[in-house]
Amino acid sequence: MMRGLQPDPVIEAYKRDIDRSLLRENLKLTVEQRFLKLSELQRLATELRKAGSVSAS
Amino acid sequence: MTDFATLIRLLVKHDIDFIIIGGAAATTHGSARLTQDLDIVYGRTPQNMARLAACLVPYNPYLRGAPPGLPFQFNASTIQRGLNFTLTTELGDLDLFGEIPEGGRYEDLIPHTITINVFGATCRCLGLRRLIEVKRAAGRPRDLEAVAELEALLEEREDRSHHR
Repeated sequence: MMRGLQPDPVIEAYKRDIDRSLLRENLKLTVEQRFLKLSELQRLATELRKAGSVSAS
Repeated sequence: MTDFATLIRLLVKHDIDFIIIGGAAATTHGSARLTQDLDIVYGRTPQNMARLAACLVPYNPYLRGAPPGLPFQFNASTIQRGLNFTLTTELGDLDLFGEIPEGGRYEDLIPHTITINVFGATCRCLGLRRLIEVKRAAGRPRDLEAVAELEALLEEREDRSHHR
């Protein structure tokens, strides 16, 4: 339960599917490490998009 | 791809009054979601708008999604005449907000920020609780999953501090 925020039933429903182990791992990182991880994810997404468009053409 | 490190360092180096919001703020707080752009709320003083324009111009800011070749010039008076801008730059996508719904302007948000040190720069980021409130108030269906994750992060954080 979050202090001061009223639970919203729709958001609570979405919350059930959140992978909290991923969040706990992120919370162990520094802010900079979190941004570096985001950049890696961006790079991967870009590569996958490129690969997808090549195989579609 | 957005070069978050260079963009943040650039804004700090040019002494821009800004607050990181949106997906990058969520990343700051531990979100695992992918975000493609840097969203900031900037101060609307003439000096700040002039500094903001001057620091971005070398990176060719242009309106994202607009057809090429428009007579768009990004300068202090463009910022003055507008409010919010979704831009592409050579450093990646950058969204500038003069004001956000339910959040207000730079000055209104300052009390709800945290100071972060990242990539050798010190800057402000919207606090987790305020970020949730702003996203909830925006009420966009596409934000629901993001809000759920942010609330889970808040719960995890409160659990951790409770068990310390």
